[in-house]
Amino acid sequence: MSHDLARALNGLGLFAVSVVLLVAFADQLVLDDLPCPLCILQRAAFVAVGAALVLNLRFGPRPSHYGAMILSGVAGAVVSARQVLLHIVPGSPGYGPTFVGLHFYSWAFVAFVAVVAGGALMLLFDRQFAADRRAAAASLPVAATAVFVLAAAVTLANGVSTALECGAGLCPDNPTAYELLGGK
Amino acid sequence: MMTLPFFTAFAAMAAAWAGRRTAAFVLWAATLAVILVLLRLHATDALDIAL
Repeated sequence: MSHDLARALNGLGLFAVSVVLLVAFADQLVLDDLPCPLCILQRAAFVAVGAALVLNLRFGPRPSHYGAMILSGVAGAVVSARQVLLHIVPGSPGYGPTFVGLHFYSWAFVAFVAVVAGGALMLLFDRQFAADRRAAAASLPVAATAVFVLAAAVTLANGVSTALECGAGLCPDNPTAYELLGGK
Repeated sequence: MMTLPFFTAFAAMAAAWAGRRTAAFVLWAATLAVILVLLRLHATDALDIAL
């Protein structure tokens, strides 16, 4: 796999992470479905994956960047698996609505496993790491900048949304209103 | 407190884009550490499952 193809795939991965966060945001804003603490931590793990992908996009693919991506994916999988296990008992209604048959935290677990597998798969291709790093850093296509801006904006928006929902402390287990907007 | 990982991750992305790779890595590691600490603070109940 060439350096440029690996970089493009990392850009696509960053775009996919942004779409996941945008879908979660749409659920939050359109359906007024406030994210629970574990849901917020899963979003945070997605943005940690995003930060690792930005490293690959900006500096070119390196094994250490894939390591960061895989570790972020493992952290996210741990959080989402915890939430799946909380509702695994038959008869539990789960938390929040379902999407194509699964709760969002179950989809998150699937996505984090895909992140880990994807990172490991990318590490198998050695030729991507051989390119000149200075040249890699110097040439950034417009699409890469656009994807970076999207990911950074969604990350920042999640920080603001979480601040509005939970204030400066920990979030309530079953949030019903935005704390900083006068709700309880 | 729960907003923190988003802002550290944003700072990591911004540092990376500005060419500050080491700073970006440190901020990414801080993000991951904060996520794990927050999970520890929230995951306090024993799971009702038999493993």
